[in-house]
Amino acid sequence: MTVPLAFENIPLSAREREPFTLSVASHQTVAVLGDEDSGVDRLGGYAMGLERPRAGTVRTFDTDVEALPERERLAFRRRVGYLPAGDGLLQNLSLRDNVALPLRFGSDATPYDIDGRVNVILVAVRLGAAADRRPARANEEECRRAALARAIAFDPLLLVLEQPFDGITARASAELLEIARGGETAEGARRSILITGQEIPTVVQRRCDRVYRLTRAGTLELETA
Amino acid sequence: MSSGPIVQIGGVAARWLSRVGALARFGFGGARAALVLPRAGRAVVFRVTLNQIRFTAVNAIGLIVLLSGILSFLVISQAVRELGQIGATGLIGTLMVVAIVRELGPLITALAIVGRSGTAIAAELATNKVMGEVRALEGMGIDPRQYLVLPRFIGAVMSVFALLVVFDIVAISAGFAAASFNGMTGTRYTQIVLQSLSPGDVWLTVAKALAFGCIVGILPSYFGISVRRAATEVPIAVSRATVASIVGVFICSALFVAIS
Repeated sequence: MTVPLAFENIPLSAREREPFTLSVASHQTVAVLGDEDSGVDRLGGYAMGLERPRAGTVRTFDTDVEALPERERLAFRRRVGYLPAGDGLLQNLSLRDNVALPLRFGSDATPYDIDGRVNVILVAVRLGAAADRRPARANEEECRRAALARAIAFDPLLLVLEQPFDGITARASAELLEIARGGETAEGARRSILITGQEIPTVVQRRCDRVYRLTRAGTLELETA
Repeated sequence: MSSGPIVQIGGVAARWLSRVGALARFGFGGARAALVLPRAGRAVVFRVTLNQIRFTAVNAIGLIVLLSGILSFLVISQAVRELGQIGATGLIGTLMVVAIVRELGPLITALAIVGRSGTAIAAELATNKVMGEVRALEGMGIDPRQYLVLPRFIGAVMSVFALLVVFDIVAISAGFAAASFNGMTGTRYTQIVLQSLSPGDVWLTVAKALAFGCIVGILPSYFGISVRRAATEVPIAVSRATVASIVGVFICSALFVAIS
């Protein structure tokens, strides 16, 4: 069975001794935490094929995304939901248009169908009336909800979330994680999720299948299982 | 030691060629990206293009009218006086067509747009990059050239063309006013300008508008989107984009003179 995401022997930072190896199996939610200079912030870019590691391999759905030709690489990324650090919302678009953007550029659906899909997602993330605001006029939590809504626009089976809970309450974080999981199946969450960041709330940690911490020595320690 | 200067010159040439190559790849990649836009994406690009035209062309009409009017009025006023003394007022038509419509018009229009919109495009795209918006677009499977560069490029080309038409109309009208102010009849002015104006001049002006539009559209976008992650790179990118666009416009203008 295809593993949604696998890192093998990736050197994350210059001082690291042991290369980084980790896989995110289907239906699993895995969090990797670490200091800002631990290199944890690079994992999302590697998974999405936005950066190439100095050594080792990264396979997303058994594919080396970074090695794909440009057009295929862009098309492949639509299979993976991505919430970049700092949310990456386009400042000149409303939150609603931010959510619609990947559908408008990445699907052949009609504008009418896209609007319908966006409305459903906005209800799911409980963005409400804030959807028509631009990011600068929305609060942090609304921006995170919009960024998550954008990440699940194509209903992907794998989500890569970079610092998704920074600046929002534990309750909102737990709610966003439930939305990200996409419901439950007999095997676990419907989606596989990789969360990276410095810290995540305890309530979110409890909902993760595994939480790892990159130590100062550069090793990976399992915090919970 | 003796190879020092040669090595340096070679290094500069290699860097320059590398940049030209990267620019060409950027341009062709953008053109290719335009061909695979889905229907809903085309609607988004169209909307952003309209915004770009509003900012670059519509909001700049006043500036172009001012520059064109003053330039033409001054040149024609002086020409009527000086050429009138030697009985060569017939050359005013040539002066208007060759100097203003064919050469200065496209040049000043392009420079005004570089200063006003080229800088804005470079700053906006550089900020998009620094804010992580370009990375987010790539992460969503959207080619940033489709959403960010293509509408600005189309907008710049159309704006330069439209503003050049405005420039020429205002220049000829201001020349008319200047000639009348200095004692030349309107009929005579119109006659000598129309005699000097050939279809070749019109086509050359159109070609220049398109070429300068391409420069103003592509260079600021390229330099803007080439920044990495630091906010301190934004003003550097804007400065490089402005200088490169100005140099590009002048080189292109010289090439037109050479081949026409």
